[in-house]
Order: sequence, then structure tokens, then C-alpha cells
Amino acid sequence: MIDDIQVTVRFERGATIIDLAGDVTTFAEEAINKAYQDTSSNGAYNIIFNFRENDYINSAGIAILIGIVTEARKRDQRLLMTGLSSHFQKIFRMVGLTQYADLYPTLDEALASLEGVE
Amino acid sequence: MLPPNTTRVVELKIPSELGYERVAREAAATVARRLGFTPERIEELKTAVDEACTNAIRHGGKSDARMKVVVVLTADETKLDILVKDPGVGDSPPVEVLAPDIQAQVEGRNPKGGLGLWLIRQMVDEAYFVEDDKSGGNQFRMIIYRVADEKHPTPEDISPPEVDTGGSRE
Repeated sequence: MIDDIQVTVRFERGATIIDLAGDVTTFAEEAINKAYQDTSSNGAYNIIFNFRENDYINSAGIAILIGIVTEARKRDQRLLMTGLSSHFQKIFRMVGLTQYADLYPTLDEALASLEGVE
Repeated sequence: MLPPNTTRVVELKIPSELGYERVAREAAATVARRLGFTPERIEELKTAVDEACTNAIRHGGKSDARMKVVVVLTADETKLDILVKDPGVGDSPPVEVLAPDIQAQVEGRNPKGGLGLWLIRQMVDEAYFVEDDKSGGNQFRMIIYRVADEKHPTPEDISPPEVDTGGSRE
């Protein structure tokens, strides 16, 4: 059984937005890492991971994101995460991901923060 | 909510293949909704069941789809009991569960991952491997109670009954 995830990359208001549509589990690793590596190769600095509120994230998915914050730290990139349900916001805080990535409820709020409008 | 002294049992068998944990997760959520758990508690339960089944598939069943992972959901008026049974052909369960040190992972001092069991323990009221399993496999039990104050009931808690006015988890 393969759970597909759709990962797309777009640029908006000075940020690279990686849209994730689907469950973030071990099946998503290749697609998410490829999107991140491609954007990093293109010199992205502000990177927003835009989740869909109703999608599921398990510990394997969190491990993928830990791998990405590890890379982002080495590259001195800024990571933001948006669209998470309150449940996964809580889990990200519990695990400690929020030490390395800023959470915003919506994409608009994340983009506004990058523009200094909060 | 169920009447006193009644139980409802749902038993699932899923292939030991990653992806099928979703079936168990959604089944557990459906049972919890029928019991009247809050949306927040249902999300916590889904995470716990998903992680437990993922562990059973990956470690207890070596991701061999010919094998089965069995999930037994037993509901009564006070709690939902979830038992996850795997064939036990892979790794033994860990003897201790440590909180993740994400800083060490990010700095490369610790391997990434290993969050599952710790996460389960944050999500449910009780979680433990059942010992003396005569079947030869692993059995992992999780319990969530309907009322927060009933997290760790003792025989004194069960009788005589008292009216609980402080619980928020229903």
C-alpha cells in the first residue's frame, strides 16, 4: 500500500513555498527531500512548508522534517511551517521542532511575518 | 456512551505492511467517536494507534505482508482499551523509552527518529508491552479513559461510585 503525497513548489512574496498535500509518512520522504534539495540548490533562504490541516503526520514524517531542519541549519535558511492542525502544532512543540522552525496558523500570516507585517 | 457493565469489541487484522496502519487508526477513531471522546482526544488516539501499528508492522512483523497485525479495541463505559498484537519475528521491544533529544539529532550526535513509543506515551493514559505472551508475539496495550480523573483507577476508585464533576475528557 502506497500513500501518495503531492509536493509542489512555488515562489510568492520572496519566499519558497513547499505545498504538501497528503499524509506525511515514510512514503513521503523522497518527494519532500527532493523538493527541499531542489529549492536549496536554487538558493532559497525563506522556506515555508505549507501543510493541509486534515492530513496526517506520523513519527516517520517528523523524522523527515528533523532531517530538513538539520540541513536548513547548516545552510542558514529560515524555515516556517503553516496549515498544521492544533494537534500537530502541539506535537511539533512537544518534540521540539519549533526550536528550528516557526509555526504560523496560515500561509498569509507566515508571509506577512517575512515582510515584517505581523 | 455505553450503558454500565457493557462492552463493545472490535477486532481487526491488517497485513504487516506499512500503509495499513491507517485502517486501524480510522477504526479506532470511529469507536472513540461513538464513545463520546472529544475531538482532541480522538486525534491523540489516532496518533497512538498509528504509531503502535507502525511499530508492530516494522519491528514485530518485519514489514512482511504475509503476516498479520491484530488490533483489538475494547470499549466500556469508562475507557477504550487497544491491544496491538504482532508476530514477534523482528526486534524485541525496547526496555526503556527516552524523550527525544532533537538538539542532539539536529547536531548529528543522535540518529534521527525513534519517536514512536515516546509519542504514544504522551497521547494515551497508559501504554505498555504485555508480558508473558504465550502466543510468542508482542502485545502492546494502550488505554484511554473517558474522564481525566479516572486516569489511574484503583479498586477503591471502582467502589463505591462517586459523582465526578471535574473531568474534562469525555
